[in-house]
Amino acid sequence: MATKSSEPETQQNPLLEGLMIRRRPEPCVLTIFGASGDLTRRKIFPSLYSLAFRDLLPEQFAIVGVARSEQSSEEFVRAMEAAVREFGRDEFREDVWERLAKVTRYVATDVADDRGEDRVAKTLSGLDEKLGTRGNRIYYFAVPPEAMPIIVEELGERRRAEGWVRLIIEKPFGYDLASARDLNELLARHFTEEEIFRIDHYLGKDTVQNLIALRFANGIFEPIWNRQFVDHVQITVAESLGIEGRAAFYEKAGAIRDVFQNHMLQLVALTAMEPPINFTAEAVRNEKLKVLMSIATPDPRLVVRGQYGQGFIDGEQVPGYREESGVAPDSNTETFVAARLLVDNWRWADTPFYVRTGKRLPRRETTIAIQFKRVPHPLFEQTDLRPNALVVHIQPNEGVSLAIGAKVPGEGMRVRTVHMDFLYGGAFRTGIPEAYERLLLDAMLGDTTLFTRADEIEEQWALVDVITAAWARERANFPNYAAGTWGPKAAQELIEWHR
Amino acid sequence: MAPLIHLDEWQDECATVSEVEQALIGLRLKRGFEGKRNVRTSVLTHLAWVPQEWQEAATETLAGLAERHPSRTLLLFPEPDAEPGLAARAFLECYETPGSDRHLCNEVAELRLRGARAEAPASIVLPLLLPDLPVFLRWRGRPDFDSAVFRQLVEVVDRLVVDSAEWQDIPSAYSELAEVFASVDVSDIAWRRTLPWRRALAQAWPKLPDRLTGPPAETTLVAGWLASRAGVEVAVERADELPVGDDRAPSDLLSEELDVYAGDPVYEEAVRIAGRL
Repeated sequence: MATKSSEPETQQNPLLEGLMIRRRPEPCVLTIFGASGDLTRRKIFPSLYSLAFRDLLPEQFAIVGVARSEQSSEEFVRAMEAAVREFGRDEFREDVWERLAKVTRYVATDVADDRGEDRVAKTLSGLDEKLGTRGNRIYYFAVPPEAMPIIVEELGERRRAEGWVRLIIEKPFGYDLASARDLNELLARHFTEEEIFRIDHYLGKDTVQNLIALRFANGIFEPIWNRQFVDHVQITVAESLGIEGRAAFYEKAGAIRDVFQNHMLQLVALTAMEPPINFTAEAVRNEKLKVLMSIATPDPRLVVRGQYGQGFIDGEQVPGYREESGVAPDSNTETFVAARLLVDNWRWADTPFYVRTGKRLPRRETTIAIQFKRVPHPLFEQTDLRPNALVVHIQPNEGVSLAIGAKVPGEGMRVRTVHMDFLYGGAFRTGIPEAYERLLLDAMLGDTTLFTRADEIEEQWALVDVITAAWARERANFPNYAAGTWGPKAAQELIEWHR
Repeated sequence: MAPLIHLDEWQDECATVSEVEQALIGLRLKRGFEGKRNVRTSVLTHLAWVPQEWQEAATETLAGLAERHPSRTLLLFPEPDAEPGLAARAFLECYETPGSDRHLCNEVAELRLRGARAEAPASIVLPLLLPDLPVFLRWRGRPDFDSAVFRQLVEVVDRLVVDSAEWQDIPSAYSELAEVFASVDVSDIAWRRTLPWRRALAQAWPKLPDRLTGPPAETTLVAGWLASRAGVEVAVERADELPVGDDRAPSDLLSEELDVYAGDPVYEEAVRIAGRL
């Protein structure tokens, strides 16, 4: 062999430069608590399949589903195969699925009892021995918040010296600031912050990350991304669906805990944050935290809650929230929140961020609209010139559009607003990956950039607590918007008042 | 790959460049069909210099490429022995975008440069380049690096894409190619084809083979790479297949090259040494 023996073995490999060798995650076992739930079926397994399809999973890898429902590993694998066929974004290939199926196990157990956790531990050790997964563990908590503390305690106490441990924790992370703090403290007793991956799947969306690219990979936006040029920002997270059988969860959470506390505030943070010094987990999260800390406590009159009544979606009549199965007939849970937020810092002082989220709105749409100030002097006859707006379409129709005024051909000087569109699917034809694919892979690689840090979560809850405390003092007059409309009149008035 | 629809062809056996430009603008303004809007998105202008013997292969390679890199494609067919003139055909290539109310359309112009026009291609393509977007030139076959035609086209592009596996005079051609690096960034599809092979060798480092066996271009490039990166000289032996293959279609390999915007010093150094092997 032509070995260059004169060089020490430790010398950096000179052949690696430019080879774009992707870092492959180290061997590990992914354990999913709450594996019989919808999230495992709709998101986790289809994403694991997509990762396997692209050969991005570790060479030694296994999956253990844990839940209370009695079923065998074979039954679980069959159910997951059906889920991948139904919800996967890639074509179904037997050989790819087979690679996952043969390393998938199911443990029917209640982890609340010690013997249950024993069964899980035994399965994991068996897989280490058989597959060489080296004691490396990822635990995915797809369980309700009340089930988490006992599992965290168990895992913390049984932590072994061998291998690394990472916890992926689904939302909702707590119910309020106090419970979130409790959970953070419990986690911190057993695990370091680098081992905790709090999922907000919006951060895994390519189009959300594109907001960072739009702002910081282009020289033209950042100079005008401030109070001098921006009149206001509107962020909408709208769903046309109702609660889809999730009454037990939704009755307790409502729109403010389901979306506002996490996705909405993260979108505000990414829109408003200062440029981080680099694109590492700590640098990005430090900047987001500063924004969350800067959000002023909103005047209760500038926060609007709503609940949908009967109405029409896609031409079909749909029931009101209180008529949904499992919902109390006098429920006071909000299905809509709108607010005028102020980010009190040098860049954004006095620039309102109008945010709204709700269920049973006319269409599914997540957008961030940056509305710029009007021209200072009306040069033309028209006085109703619309200001420029940059709209980031997170979903659907992923892309960016810029509204500009253009002269209408012909005599005179009439100006009409036209849109310049960048359509994601038009410029990049590779398909947009599911957010969970990116996040699962990042967790396997130990990269926490796109996950929420403990202090961010606590700031988010602190804001929510103030709002819910004001709400608790007064019973809402629900329902106050019809399904298929853009929420209560008071929400429209928030923005109209601004105009 | 989504179904391809050819739309609204325009052609003229005796055209001017401005007529071609007008035809492309006219096609862009077409409102759409089957109730869907046409949308043009471009990430680059793609020139292809296609001598007669490469026409069939060029068409195959380009099939589906525009879907991944929406672009304005200008296919240049030199016909120096024909009666002087410019024959042109322009059309839209449109793709369905599933779940959307739009067709994604690319503009294609085929330009037959007849007689003396084959000697002044830059003056023909310059007015047709999309402003402010990178221009890639795919040169089929072995360029005559000293020719005026080559020099003037390289002047107006950002990147030259060749496939040195199409050349007969390996390794001496690499010495000539190395001279071009000062004036334009170069991509070589043969180099892209060796990527899995180079990765395998890098992973085996520092244990390297004494002998490389494979097609001449790829093997010479890998030998040049080992010499430049690791100071290791290995023998080369001719064979039809690459030891670690890349079974992707030529259009996939070309597509990857179109994602590269900067020069590749590792490749350039490998070529400089390959020329001396």
